[in-house]
Order: sequence, then structure tokens, then C-alpha cells
Amino acid sequence: MRKYIVLVALLVGLTIFSLALTVGFCVSTLNNPFFVSFTNGAKAEAQTLGVELIVLNAQNSNNTQYNQVEDLIQRKVDAIILNPTDTDALIPAVKDANKAGIPVITLDRSVNGGKVAVFIASDNVAGGRMAAEYIVKVLKGKGEIVLLRGIPGASATRERTKGFMDFISKHPGIKIVADQTANFDMAQGLSVTESILVAHPQIDAIFAENDSMALGAIRAIKSSGRKGIIVVGFDGIPQGIQAVKDGDEALDVAQQPYKMGALGVSAAYFVTQGLNFAPSHLAMPLFPLTKNNVDQWTKSSH
Amino acid sequence: MSILKIEGIHKSFSGVEVLRDINLEVEKGEIHAIVGENGAGKSTLMKIISGEYEPTAGKIFVKSEEKRFSSPLDAIQDGISLIHQEFSLVPQLTVCENIYLGKEPTKNVFFFKIVNHIKMVEDSRSVLSNLEASHINTQSKIKDLSVADKQLVEIAKALSFNSEILIMDEPTAALTLKETDTLFAILKRLKENGVTILFISHRLEEIFEIADRVTVLRNGEHITTKNISDVSMEEIVRMMVGRSMKNRFPPKVDHKVGAVVLKVEGTTSEPHFRNVSFELRKGEILGIAGLVGCGNSQLGESLFGLKDMEGKMYLDSVEIKIKEPTDAITHRIFLVPEDRHTLGLILQRDVKENHSLPNLDFLSRFGFIKRRKEKKSVMATVEYLNTKITSINQRVENLSGGNQQKVVLGKWLARSPKILILDEPTRGIDVGSKYEIYKFIYDQAFKGISIIIISSEMEEVINLSDRILVMSEGRITGELSPSEATQERILALAVKRKED
Amino acid sequence: MEKMDSSFVRKYGVILGLVGIIAFFAFESPKYFFTFSNFMLISKQSSINALLAIGQMFVILTAGIDLSVGSMIGLSGAIAAGTIVATGNVLIGILAGLGIGAGLGAVNGIIVSLAKVPAFITTLATMSAIAGITLIYTNGQPIWDLPHSFMYFGQGYLLGIPFPVIVMTIVFAVAWIILALSRYGRHVYAVGGNIRASRAAGIKINSVLISVYTISGFLAALAGIVLASRLGTAEPTAGRGYELDSIAAVVLGGTSLFGGEGWIVGTLVGAYIIGILNNGMTIMNISPYYQEVVKGLVILLAVMLTSFGKKYWNE
Repeated sequence: MRKYIVLVALLVGLTIFSLALTVGFCVSTLNNPFFVSFTNGAKAEAQTLGVELIVLNAQNSNNTQYNQVEDLIQRKVDAIILNPTDTDALIPAVKDANKAGIPVITLDRSVNGGKVAVFIASDNVAGGRMAAEYIVKVLKGKGEIVLLRGIPGASATRERTKGFMDFISKHPGIKIVADQTANFDMAQGLSVTESILVAHPQIDAIFAENDSMALGAIRAIKSSGRKGIIVVGFDGIPQGIQAVKDGDEALDVAQQPYKMGALGVSAAYFVTQGLNFAPSHLAMPLFPLTKNNVDQWTKSSH
Repeated sequence: MSILKIEGIHKSFSGVEVLRDINLEVEKGEIHAIVGENGAGKSTLMKIISGEYEPTAGKIFVKSEEKRFSSPLDAIQDGISLIHQEFSLVPQLTVCENIYLGKEPTKNVFFFKIVNHIKMVEDSRSVLSNLEASHINTQSKIKDLSVADKQLVEIAKALSFNSEILIMDEPTAALTLKETDTLFAILKRLKENGVTILFISHRLEEIFEIADRVTVLRNGEHITTKNISDVSMEEIVRMMVGRSMKNRFPPKVDHKVGAVVLKVEGTTSEPHFRNVSFELRKGEILGIAGLVGCGNSQLGESLFGLKDMEGKMYLDSVEIKIKEPTDAITHRIFLVPEDRHTLGLILQRDVKENHSLPNLDFLSRFGFIKRRKEKKSVMATVEYLNTKITSINQRVENLSGGNQQKVVLGKWLARSPKILILDEPTRGIDVGSKYEIYKFIYDQAFKGISIIIISSEMEEVINLSDRILVMSEGRITGELSPSEATQERILALAVKRKED
Repeated sequence: MEKMDSSFVRKYGVILGLVGIIAFFAFESPKYFFTFSNFMLISKQSSINALLAIGQMFVILTAGIDLSVGSMIGLSGAIAAGTIVATGNVLIGILAGLGIGAGLGAVNGIIVSLAKVPAFITTLATMSAIAGITLIYTNGQPIWDLPHSFMYFGQGYLLGIPFPVIVMTIVFAVAWIILALSRYGRHVYAVGGNIRASRAAGIKINSVLISVYTISGFLAALAGIVLASRLGTAEPTAGRGYELDSIAAVVLGGTSLFGGEGWIVGTLVGAYIIGILNNGMTIMNISPYYQEVVKGLVILLAVMLTSFGKKYWNE
């Protein structure tokens, strides 16, 4: 958090001296509000800094993204901000950029090879733990809960589940009565929760590993007429924030995609100015959003 | 000693017996014809002998040794090969690849077994030249060959297995006269080399030309097996249909031929036919004869709007344009196509639906089918045509060829036809059904309906028609009256080449 | 012989499968699974796939396939929601959504029939294009904050029955009547059974083809609107992958992928089988990893049984 504030201060100071920089921004997909917000943050920051930002959408295709990185190298951009579609498939692309002397900044996900100047991501493990801590606290260490996992095998699913389970497993009073996936999808969050509610007359809390599934779960709970089930979501998408305001979602572990995108651009800016980051991994803090702090949060973020 | 002997063969499908106690002995080196009406059980019997079906009961002996075939491969290993009506060749592969499909000669290169292509080509050549079919290029793709050549490749494939018994199901159905002659020459040579041939055909003349013995099946039963020299065609027909049938054609019905109904002027559809003009009168039966490929079949399809053509058509002296079958149907011009499976029937639907398919406009109200009216209409047609079905809900693919053809004919009857174009109306149909279809044609003409019969069976054209047009290479080469028409004269016109 | 042929097995085999699966879950979880309220829940959950599958069946009966239905769900939901937000009128929004579905379905049909591009390729291409249009239209963001009157469509009840189930029942009944009793239904079966023979019987092939894709697009749009209403949100990626479930339901129901044969009751049963598997396995808390495997195997088994039965009865 402090590092971030320092960066912003530096950034404002340096804006005046900015040269005309060109930065490539490779986003894995724009199918998801998270990445849209993330890209919007980057665009806004680029405008502030007077950086020309080339936004390229890989539509979740490794091959497309590789080609896009190659194109950016051909265009001799000053830096490449990469939100990789895959942690391994993009290694050669990063290596090519390294060879061409173009610094690479990775966002949200990194790559397992090549030289990455800065890697910025939310701390998903900490977020999972945050959700678990909240549930344990509210249920006073005793209750029956449901886990709705994201897409099996995805890194966000793995990390959030790990953070959550590590903490929950230390509290034997908390029993996970249903552990299912809804693939980060709202419609599946709805139907899976509907079925779970049929099987379990007593449920105290549901942790959904993203807001879409949490929103689906909330719909299911409402239509079943059940009361008093605590729903915890993850990501902090606008609809999730609204659900927190409405009191439907008790806690939303909010990411800050807009700020993450902006930070990516400013990091790129500093790297091109010769600044070195050590350590090169920046963890975007996650924010535990509840009804009490939500209004404040809405004001401060975009 | 007989090379093949079957004893007490029974076969049932879902409890329905289609073959009953069949006993048959086939001698080595004979050409043995199997005849019977459609549905008599010929094909089923052949499929049992060639291992495609297992008999419900009974025994098969090959060279006095009892055999049980559970697949065609078993039969092939015992020297029995079946050549289907629909060939079992892979169209995209070459001739030699097809002949050696599944038994490609191999050679070892390092540790790999690879196809010995040179040997495969050479062996294919020698097999083909044994058949006097050296004109077939072993590197041609099957899809580029003529039907006759495909058949030769199929025979070559069977011989490459060293088959001693060849079973041929209607081998001549799609061949021209000349090709049939060539095929027969080959079969005779195979016979001299000791190959035994089981031969299914509907064309009885052929049987007298080539077979040594003949077996007649009827309703799944073995009626008789005789030396061909000991029977007459009439006797065979009688045994096939189970009743005396002196004539294969019904007695002529007097029908009035009236004014010109249809006038066709200078119609052309390259490359099938060009500048064809003729007239058709009310109640007239007009035969259009010619060899396979002369363009008469395409002419029929074009008149019905299935193929594009240039030129003029006048119906009752008014010019009409037919671009699509719907146009022809509006003018009550109907086609019974040569290939009923691709153009005439929806095989997986039932008799009722096939019958009423083109007639739903008047069998329905507000878009919904009047089921009772439909049933009545279908039943009336089925009864009129004497179509043999178990119910109108029977799928047409389960009907015999003759009954399928009656369904195709029947479709149009409810629409009171003005002109019926019948393209090869009796192809692949048993004698009994043929007779009924001929009667139907007379009956329609008597009712004043004009009929065009497109046929390569000259006897049929001569017997039925009031007037005969002969086509060759897409042109009309002559017109004959039935009194002057003979097979020889038609043939002379049918093979007439372009003068220029 | 007629009573026992392949179509018999095709027709009733799937019902046997349904009974078997219900029996299994009822035995495993009698208290929760085998209840009336859970039956209603399964019906509600299956309604979207059933709507898609009924449309898909019309297309498959003509020997085609419609891969674009999943994307169509997303677009129609988004257009309906977007129009409602813009005009404040729920009815106009629903009509806009249905209109876009039917219109794009007709485009599919026109490409397949007039340009003669194979259905698989055509709808694969439009599947991608429609998904893209949805993202452009929504800018990748969900559309929410929809009026309560719109929610009734997906969340409401009529006489104690969930409204989506009523929609599904009506669509099913109408489709059944059309396929079994109407002239148009006959034409659909005929074109799928033998397109050339149908043309020779005077059927306007192109109108039949265009209409089945229009029906499929329309029903996908209806499903998309029900889904958006059920969720209270039009998600830009809603419906992705649903095309496969709809095809699975149709095939489970015994409809031939080669066209010309199929019974609509089978399609509904197929949709229920998929819905029951999802519901039952979740109730039993079977690991989601295994659920995928089981679903795949059940579909495979069912189709194998049908074709085995077919072979058996034919021999």
C-alpha cells in the first residue's frame, strides 16, 4: 500500500517531464468486466501521462497474444504491458521482447520465464484467507458452509481456494457441507446453489470465489425464501458492490482492477525512465468491502 | 462333389421368417442364377452365404466342410465374395488401393512396415489384365470410373482374395448392353477357370444367356433348381409368381389418343441433350428409348423442373415456364424418377407420409393435416395400386422395390395428373409388380392421361408405347410406331452417331 | 416387425434411461431429491436447455445443426435488457430480444440454404460473430438494475408453477403439435430425410431451411430472455457453451443427426436427463470433477444403447 502511494506521488511529479512514449497493452480478454475496468484504468492513466497506449485484446488465445507481442516488438514500442493468457505459453514472447530490449510488465498473471521488469497482481491467497476469517468470525467458529469454486484448475480458483481452506481447516467447528464448482458463472452459481439448498436445510454461509457466482447464489437464496445465509463474494465488480450496499452480500473481497491497470501504465512509464523495481512483484491489496465501508469505497474508486 | 452346400437354412428378423428351410447345392465352376420376386429372400440368402447375416438355423458346407461365418471376412477366407449392387469401394482411393484394401503388400524399411506400392500396382495390373480390363488405370480414383469399370474393379478385388465363389447381386442393373456383353464374356472366362458364380438378376433373358442352372425362390422358400436347358422363361415366371403368367405384358387396352397436350420445342440442356422437340397427345403413351447416358433421363428431369433447360414448352397451346418442380406440379406434370431412393422417397418415413407429401395442400386446413382425409386418400391409392404393406405406418425402406415404386407412383395419383413422366418405371422390380405397373399405365392412358415412358428396356417401350422416340447422344434420332418398332431398329437408332 | 424396429428403441429407450436415472437418485437421496418441490426446481433449471433443444431439434431434423444458439442467448438477453433500460418498457425490450434472435436465425438459414454453406460452418461463424456483437453492444459489462416487472418472466410463479416452466410447457406443446400434426412439420421431416426427393415433391426447400433456423434463433432468444430475467442481469457471456447441452439433449432424445427422424418428447426427456444429472449430483455433493465425467459417460452410454438397440432389432 505504501509503495503504491509513493508511486503515485512520483508519477504526478514526473508527469510534467513526460516524453511521447508508446506502450503496448496486451489484455487476455475483454469478455469480463474485470478486464474491461482494468483496461479503462490503464487508458485513463495513459492519458494523464501523455503515453500513447496501444490496446490489444487476445480473446483468450495464446497464439493471438504471441502474435500481438511480436507486432508490438516490430513497432518498437517503449514498453509492453502484458496480461498473459497463459503463464507458460507466453514465455517465448517475453524472451523476444527481452532480446529487442523492450521492458515487459505483467499484470494479474505472470509468466514463468524470460525477464519481467514488474509483476503486479492481486494477492488471491490473502483474499481467500480474508473471506475465511470473516466467515469464522461472524459464525463464531461454528456452522455449516458452502464453497462455490471457480473454473477448476484456473490460478485464481487454486489460490483463492488455498487461502480459504488453509484458514477454515484450522476451525473444526466450521463444516463445509457442499463443495461444488460454478465455473465463475452467474447462471451456474444460481442453479448449483438452488440444488444445494434443496439438499441442506441448514446453511449458514456461502463463499463464492467470484461475485458473479455470489450474485447467482443470492438469487437462489431469495427465490427459496431462506433467510440468514451469509454470502461472501470476491472481485468487487459494480454489481457485487451494489449487492453489498443492498445487504445481500455480506462481504466482497474487492480487487482493484482499475487501479491495477493504471499502476501497470505508470510502472511501464517508470521502467522506461530507467527506474528499477526491487522486489519486482507488487501485490495489489485486496479490500474487504462490507456495508459499513462501501460508500466510502465507491467514492474513492472508479 | 458340390463346392457349396446349404442345408435347412432358416432366417428370421424380429420374429418374422424371411427364409424357410432352404436347401441348395452349387457345383464347382457353374454359373448359378438365383431368381425370385423382390422380397422372395434372394438377397438375404446371399448375405447368409457371404457371412453378412448369420442364419437362424441350418448349416453351410464349403467343400463338404461345415462352416460358420460370423462376418464377411470369414466367408472371404473360405473363398466366398459378395459383390453388392452398391459397391463397397472407397471412391477417394485409387483402383489398386481399393483392390488391396486391408491386405496391402508390405515391405520392411528399417523397422517400419510400409506399403509396397510397386508390388501393389503390378499385382493389380495382372489381376485386371486377367479380367481383360487392362484399360483401367490402376492409379485412377474410383470416383472417376464408369459404373462398368467400378464393377470390374470390384470383381478384381474379389479375385485378389483368390475367391472361388463369386456372388453377384444384380450386376447388370446399371450397365449398358455393350457393357453387359463384356461382363458376361468375363464371367464365362472366370467359369472356365473354375470360378463358381452365383448370379442374381431380374432380367430373365440374361439368365438364359449365361446361367447353367437356375434356382427359383418364392416367399422365402426354395421352389426349384433346374438346368437352364430344361425350363422355359414362362415356366420360371410362373414359378416365381406362383401363378400362371402367360404374358409378361398385360393385354393392350384400347385408349383414345386425342389432341396435342404438350409441345416441346428446341429444348437444350448441355451437355445432356440439345434441340429436342416433340409433341405429346392426350391419352398417348409416348416411349423415349435410348441407351444409358443418351440424355432421355435428363430430359425427363428437366421437363419436371429438376434441371435447368432452355427452349419452349406449350401446355394446351399456352406457353409455360417450368423452373422448379413446384411449377410442373401446378401444371399437373409429374415425374416418377429413375432413382427412387434419391429422388422419389423419404426412406425413413412411412408409407402414409410419403404418399401425401406433395398433396398436403389439399389434405390440410389452416396448415394442419386432416388426418382422416389423409388416411382415406392414402388407403384408396394403396388399394388401387395393390401395394403390399403391413400398415400405412410402415417405413418405406422396409418395402420391396416394387412396392416402393408403387408408393412413388401413388404420390401423384391424388393430384389427378395430366402428364406422367415415368423414368425407368420398372427398374429393379420383380415380374409381378412389373405387370401391375404396366396395367396401371394402360389404365391411366385409358383415363386420358398422357404418359411419357423413358426406358432402356426396349421390350417395355415396344410393348407399351403408342409411339416411340429414340435418343442418342442427346438428340432425337428417330420416331417409330409400335408396328414398325423392333429391338433391332431401336438399337440402330440408339447407337446412331452424329452425322457431322 | 414394425412395432419392434429401430424407431421403437429410439423412441422409448430414452424414457427408460430417464426412469433409471430418477430411480437411482431417488434411492440415493429419497429425502431431498424425490420431492415435488425438487421436481419443480429441476423443471425450472431444465427449461432454458429445453427451449434451446426444441429449436435445435427443428434444425437437426433437417440434417443441420445450430451452434450459434449459445451466443444468441447472450445477445438477445443483452438487447432485451439494454432496450428495457433505454426505453423503460419491458414489452418493447422482450420483443426486441426475440426479434434479434429470429432475425439472426433467419440469417443463418439464408446462408445455409441460399449460399449453400454447410450448417456447421455457418453457425460456427455466426456463433463467434454474435458473441462479438454482444461484447461490442455491452462493452463487456453486464446490464443490470432491471425493473421488477421484467423479473417475473424468469422468477415469477403462476398457480404455484415457475413461469419459465410454463413458457417451456407452452413452447413444447406448440412444437409437438407443429411437428406431429401440421403440414409444415411434415415438410421439416421430409427435407431432413431426403432433400432432393422433397424438392421433387414440390416442397419449397429454402423456406423450410430458413424457417427452422429462424425458429431456433427465436427460441434461443426466448431462452436468453428467460435467463436474463432469472438472473436479473444480462451477462455479456451468458449462454456460452449451451449449444452443446442443447445438441446433447436432442441426440439423447433419439433424434438422428442425419435428419428426418426424431420425436419431440425424447428431446424434452433429454433436456430433463441433463438437468436431473446436474441437480442430483450436486445434491449428493459429488465432486465437480467427477460430475463432468459422469455426464459425458451417461450421454455416451445412452447413445450407444440406442444404436445397439437399433442394430439388435434390425438383425
